[in-house]
Amino acid sequence: MSSDFNIISETHDKILVLRTDGYINNVAGEKILDEFSKSFTEDMNKVIMDLEKSKVVNSIGISYLIDIIEKLNERNGKLVFTNLDPTIDKTFNIMGIFQFAQKAESVEAALK
Amino acid sequence: MIDTDLKLEIKLPKVPDIELVAIQGLEKMGGYFGISEDKIGEARVLVTEAIINGLEHSGGEEPYVNVEFTMTKDKLIILVTDYGKGFDPNSVPAPEIENKLGSKNKRGWGLKLMKSMSDDLVIESKPTGTKISIIKNLS
Repeated sequence: MSSDFNIISETHDKILVLRTDGYINNVAGEKILDEFSKSFTEDMNKVIMDLEKSKVVNSIGISYLIDIIEKLNERNGKLVFTNLDPTIDKTFNIMGIFQFAQKAESVEAALK
Repeated sequence: MIDTDLKLEIKLPKVPDIELVAIQGLEKMGGYFGISEDKIGEARVLVTEAIINGLEHSGGEEPYVNVEFTMTKDKLIILVTDYGKGFDPNSVPAPEIENKLGSKNKRGWGLKLMKSMSDDLVIESKPTGTKISIIKNLS
């Protein structure tokens, strides 16, 4: 497993889609937060975070995702995770993430 | 496939992403025994969080953790030892997402994840270091 991490962002109407690739640790978490801060504009209300290519996350990386949830809550926006690995799904469940974020099977489903 | 257990012992220095080395060993061992991806995924979380915790508490004089896996087709035992100042695991508050939102400190989830995903977790900590022992059933 490589520790290289990449993130791609795209917009669909008023929705920001962030696609991650690689291990989500502290450095990756900071990159995700930076990309969100840079790309989530005033007219947007939803972020889709696609984790199809991220099979491992650690708790420090997830703390940055909680930061994004907090920022979205302040703007009445919402976060949808897609393509979650079963272990990441379980991890988010244990942490209570789904009380404040949603999940969908795919980006296409989340865009509907 | 052998009927006895497999062991892996490694000493990991405090460098970024070194936990991935241990995870790679875990995955190889799991593949050898044909362990399900779900179980290996949960073991991956346990190993990652235990090593991160150990390296964080490892201190400047001995910035290493020792990691030991003992695996059979039914069970994984994980031992992670650091040589830092130790900590009182009972003084670590259980994190709640409601409290983390709005708080400056959004970290502190490692122990909760290890408790939730393991079948047994013992933390022995003293001023010369901490040993985390985890049992994960694999069948």
